[in-house]
Amino acid sequence: MKRRIFLVAASSFAMAVSFGAMAADPIKVGFPMILSGPGALFGEPALKGAQMYVEEVNAKGGVLGRKIQLISRDTKGNADEAVRVVRELILREDVNFIVGTLTSAEGPAVSPIAKENKIVFVAPITKTDQLTAPANLHPYVFRSASTTTIEGRTAAEIVAKWPVTRIATISPDYAYGQDVTKAFVEHLKKIKPSVEIVDQQWPKLGEADYTPFINAQLAKRPEAVFSSLWGGHFVTFAKQAKPLNYFQAINNNFIGAGEAASIESTKSMGADYPVGIWGNSYDVFDWPDGPQSHKDYIARLKKFTNEEHPSSWPITGYIAMQFLTAAIAKAGSIDSDKVSAAMKDISVDTPLGKMTMRAKDHQANHGQFWGKTKRDPKYPFAVIENVTRIDPAPFMD
Amino acid sequence: MPEPAFLFGQFVGGLTAAMFLFMIAAGLSLIFGVLRILNFAHGSFYMFGAYLAWQFMRWLGPGTEYFWLAALGAATGVAMIGVAIERLLLCRLYRREELYQLLFTYGFVLILADIAKIVWGTQQLSVSRPPSLSGSFEIFGTTVPHYNLFIILLGPSIALALWLLMHRTGVGRLIRAAVLDREMLGALGANVGGLYTIMFGVGSFLAGLGGALVTPVKSIIPGMDVEVIVEVFIIVVIGGLGSLWGTFLGAFVFGQVLAFGILIMPRFSIFSVFALMAIILIWRPWGLLGRPLSR
Repeated sequence: MKRRIFLVAASSFAMAVSFGAMAADPIKVGFPMILSGPGALFGEPALKGAQMYVEEVNAKGGVLGRKIQLISRDTKGNADEAVRVVRELILREDVNFIVGTLTSAEGPAVSPIAKENKIVFVAPITKTDQLTAPANLHPYVFRSASTTTIEGRTAAEIVAKWPVTRIATISPDYAYGQDVTKAFVEHLKKIKPSVEIVDQQWPKLGEADYTPFINAQLAKRPEAVFSSLWGGHFVTFAKQAKPLNYFQAINNNFIGAGEAASIESTKSMGADYPVGIWGNSYDVFDWPDGPQSHKDYIARLKKFTNEEHPSSWPITGYIAMQFLTAAIAKAGSIDSDKVSAAMKDISVDTPLGKMTMRAKDHQANHGQFWGKTKRDPKYPFAVIENVTRIDPAPFMD
Repeated sequence: MPEPAFLFGQFVGGLTAAMFLFMIAAGLSLIFGVLRILNFAHGSFYMFGAYLAWQFMRWLGPGTEYFWLAALGAATGVAMIGVAIERLLLCRLYRREELYQLLFTYGFVLILADIAKIVWGTQQLSVSRPPSLSGSFEIFGTTVPHYNLFIILLGPSIALALWLLMHRTGVGRLIRAAVLDREMLGALGANVGGLYTIMFGVGSFLAGLGGALVTPVKSIIPGMDVEVIVEVFIIVVIGGLGSLWGTFLGAFVFGQVLAFGILIMPRFSIFSVFALMAIILIWRPWGLLGRPLSR
C-alpha cells in the first residue's frame, strides 16, 4: 500500500514536472544580425532593442503563457554567412521564428530559407524593395522595416521643395543604394520635371577613399546631392568631403538617406559633422511632438542601455519583435501558417505610434524622421532641427 | 575632355591615398624583406594605431595640438605590441615552414580584432583634424586640405628616412646582410635575433603611425584591419615585396589608378586595380622593382 502511494506520488510528481517543463518551454526566436564589422554600428543597437522588448514581455509572463528566448548570431554583414547561421538556427537550435538580418544583401538571401523551412521571418532593417516584391513574396516573409521606395520618395518630396534643378547622387553600389537612388530619381522627376540629374557616383560598399568620387561630382557642379551612404560609410565620406569644401559648394543642399542624421552617425563625428545638411533617422531621443508612449520607451531604453542619449536603432528590433509577438498572440499558436495568417493586416501600437502589416505585400507602414541637422549647445553632437516623422502611406504603392 | 583643375584634383586625391598606404605598406614590405615573414596582422597593427590614437586623445583631453602627441604615442604603443609579439611568440616560428608562420599571423588578425572589439566596442569612433592643419588652400582651381598636403610630404620623407637607415647606418648594413644570408651573419657574431626584433618594431611603428594619421580622414571601425591589408598586399605585389622604392611606386600607381579609374569605368575602379595586379603577376611575378626570390 505504502509502495503504491509512493508510486502514485512519484508519477504525479513526474507529470507535474513535465507539464511544468512544457509550460516553461520558451518560444525560440533566432536573431541573425551584424554584430561585427562596419555594420555592427547599427546591428548591435538593433539587437539591444529586441532584447529589451523580450525582457519586457517575459516580465509580464510572456506570450501564450510561454517565455520568449532570443538566440542571436553574427552574420558579419555577409549574405552567405547570414544564410549559414539561419540554417544553423533552424536545424540545430530548432528556432520557431527568425527575426533579423540587416543589409539588403542578407535579407533577400535568408528569405528563401524561411520559405523552404516554413518559418516566419520578420525583417526589421532590410529596405530593398526586392525583399517583398511580387516575385519574391511568400507566406512566411514579412518586413517591419521601411523600404527603399518609401525612403527614396520621401527624400524626393523634400528636395522638390528646394530651389534647385541640378541634382547629383552618390550611393553605395549594391541592392540598397541602387534601389533607393532609383526610387528617389524617378519620384523627383515625376513631381518636378524641371530637374536634371547631372551626375551619379557609385562607390563600392565599404569604399575607404571617397576623394576621387567627391572631386568628380563637384566637377559637374550640382546644386543638390542625394546620398544613401550609411553608417561608417557616411562618416568616412563626410570626413573626406568637408575639407574639400564639398558641402559648401552645394550650399548644404545635401540629403543623406541611410540614417545619415542618426545619433550613431552624429555622435561618432562630433565636431566634424557637416551641420546644416538634411538626413533621416529611425528614431530620435527627443521627439517633442511624439506620443507619451515614445517618451516612456526612451526612458526605458536609457535605463536598459545605460546611455544618456540612447541610440536610434533599437527601435527596429523592438518593433519587429512587437509584430511577431502580437501575431503569435492573435494566432494563439506558434504554428507558422497560423502566425503567418495572423500577421496579415495586424496592427501594433509601437512607441512611434500605430503600425500595420499590410496583407497585400507583407509590408509595415514604417516611416522615418527627417530634418535639417543643427548644432545644439545642449549636446556634444549634431541633432535634427524641427524633427518631423513623415507618414509613409502616400509613398507606398 | 575634363577640366585640368579637375584632373589635378584627382591627381592630388590619388597621391594622398597613395602616401597613406605607402606608410603602411612600407612596414609590411620591410618586415618581409628582412624576416621573410608575410605578416597578415600588419593590418591589425594599423587598426590598433587608429584605436590607440583615439584613446590617447581621450586621455589627453580636448587639447588642440594633442593630436600629434596621440599619433606618436599610438605608433609607439603599436611598435611595443609588435616587439612583444615578435620576441615572445613569432621568434619561435622562424625555423618552421612558411605555412605555419602565415597561420600564426592570420590567427593574430582574429585575436587582435576581438581584443579591439572588447576594449573599444563596435561603435565607430572619430578623431578631428588638428587645428593647425584643419584649413585648406586653392591651387590650380583645386581645394587641397592642409592635412592632405602634410601626408603627401610625409610619405617621401619616410621613404627617404628608411633608405638612409638601410644604406647609411651600421644597423642598415647588418640588416642588408641579414637579408642576403642570416645564418652567415649569425655565425659572424651579429645579434640576428635583436636585428629582427628592431625591424619588426620599425615595421609595426609604421603601421601604427599610418593608422593614427588616418583617423582624421576616416572613421575608426572594426573591419578596417582587413580592408587595409588587402590594399597593402596589392601594393607590395605590384611594387615588389621587400623593395622600398617598389612599394613607393606600387602605392603611387595604386592611388592614381583608383583616382582616374573612376573616369574611365566609374563603377569598376577597384577592378582596374586588380586587373593591374593580375597583369603584373603574370608579367613580373616579383613586382615592378622587386627581385626574383632565389630560394
